[in-house]
Amino acid sequence: MNYNKYPQINPKSKFIKRIYVSVMLFVVGRAIAAAAKSDKVVKEEFKNLRDDFMMRLGVTPNGPEMILGKNEKGVVKYMGWNSKGKKITMNMQIKNLEAAMLMFTFQESTTVATARDRLAVSGDLPDACAFVRILDIVETYLLPKIIVKFAVKRYPKWSQMSPLRKYVGRVLVYTRTLLGI
Amino acid sequence: MQVPSYYEFCCRVKTVSGHNALEKIPSFLDKLDAKAPMIITDKGVTGAGLITIVEEAIKGSGVEIKAVCDDVPPDSDLKVVNELAKVYQEKGCDSIIAVGGGSPIDTAKGVNIVVSENATDLMQFAGVGVIKKRLKPMIAIPTTSGTGSEMTLVAVIADHEKNVKMAFVSYFLLPDFAILDSRMTKTLPPFITAPTAMDAMTHAIEAYTCLGKNPVSDATALKAIEMISLNLLKVVKKPDDLDGRLALANASALAGMSFSNSMVGMVHTLGHATGGVCHVPHGVCMSIFLPYALEYNMHKIKNDLAEVYFALAGQEEYAKTAPGERAEKAITFVRQLNQDLHDATDGKHARCLKEVFDREGNPMVPKDKLSDIVKTALGDASQFYNPEDFDYNDLMFVIEHAWEGTPLDRSKIKKG
Repeated sequence: MNYNKYPQINPKSKFIKRIYVSVMLFVVGRAIAAAAKSDKVVKEEFKNLRDDFMMRLGVTPNGPEMILGKNEKGVVKYMGWNSKGKKITMNMQIKNLEAAMLMFTFQESTTVATARDRLAVSGDLPDACAFVRILDIVETYLLPKIIVKFAVKRYPKWSQMSPLRKYVGRVLVYTRTLLGI
Repeated sequence: MQVPSYYEFCCRVKTVSGHNALEKIPSFLDKLDAKAPMIITDKGVTGAGLITIVEEAIKGSGVEIKAVCDDVPPDSDLKVVNELAKVYQEKGCDSIIAVGGGSPIDTAKGVNIVVSENATDLMQFAGVGVIKKRLKPMIAIPTTSGTGSEMTLVAVIADHEKNVKMAFVSYFLLPDFAILDSRMTKTLPPFITAPTAMDAMTHAIEAYTCLGKNPVSDATALKAIEMISLNLLKVVKKPDDLDGRLALANASALAGMSFSNSMVGMVHTLGHATGGVCHVPHGVCMSIFLPYALEYNMHKIKNDLAEVYFALAGQEEYAKTAPGERAEKAITFVRQLNQDLHDATDGKHARCLKEVFDREGNPMVPKDKLSDIVKTALGDASQFYNPEDFDYNDLMFVIEHAWEGTPLDRSKIKKG
């Protein structure tokens, strides 16, 4: 029998999409760590999380990932892109690269992605809820309103985030994200 | 109705419904290759003689009930789950039959996780998609109509030490069979029939109006709403109406199937927290919060709520109502239903949080606990599926009105 007429198929990698998602995860990780130092609401949210909080946001099965957590001093830090050797307390998995692209090109917000079953969360669900609130605030800092309106369920009103807080916070978050401080 | 760009729907539970459906249990166990079930239930169910009915149905079939565990508390408890798992292993059981309302069924699901994964602590499986393999055979027999737990992939178990309710979500938590037998709810008193059926109503309405809605869950939700609307008051006033009881049991199962595949929103966000902090029964919380959540979300769900009104009030009332008024009328209908149930149960069905009392007549939701409830609610994952966003201030606004029993001032709602 000629088995060669049934060739093995090696799936190609989606190189550009992987790079894009990797960059976005890196920026989000650094930006959240920056916001934890610059924004009092984000600071308060992290204060209520457990002392050994360590989360992983990544793409299954072997996609890019981002690790974020508190160090021994309780400071929130971006911990890199590899979860090996780290005790993860909350794991948010985006089910595939295409779903990650929908989220990171803001075609779907985090909550819509959850409703459409694109995310799986294991670990403390209250921590996941806090993380989504933090992510919404960070997206408001990083992006203009016209894009953020697609990424969050409700753009913050003035009573929730004054223009002063938004613009000062934006400068601080961008500076800290770029410089890694 | 728009089809969402992506959805998933799965209901692998075989539903068996009838006035004498329990008699099929031995053949179902045989299909599952099980002979030594453990029955998990609560004292209310054993006290009402319902376990005797189940035992009679199994008599003479060769099936040996290895253990009957009836110490499930009103809220499924983490400690009880871990203890019952040890009983399961000690007695050499090979399957689980859960008989009861949401708590025994959720407890049974928790026990199933522990015994199937050979674990010692349930909490390591909290979250979504953590359970990755098939569990032991399980049959669910609901005795309320109801939480719909017999059809759901969720188990909610309270950790009373931390005062939170933890959710376990996996397709493997779906029971193999759900048996709806009218004898199981026949003796349910009116003041429990009312909130449990309103729980099912909430599941169906939230499934239809929240972000995870899809065509399949919509179909089951609308049917559930219609069946509850037609039968609930009838059954509360005439509890031995077996056809009505069977209809409510089916409605509850349909609602469970629906919300299991489209999730729920603000009513459950506040309801879980109120149950966790103040130990208010789940159905009571649902019936109180339902009209408030609908008011809060109104600007986002107006069209869907108008379609819900068709199922609630029937085609004639729907046709008589101007299209722009149907959504409002749906909320009015729900409030009126709560009022009618309050009257039919001699005031036992609570319409607002300040009317919730325990058996000794003590108020269960003191006003100074509202802030704790809201802080707990902010950690509930059901908030992701609510159409409108909310923060601490929004939830305090809603819960204060729900405590007083006054409608929301919608001009104060921050719209996204």
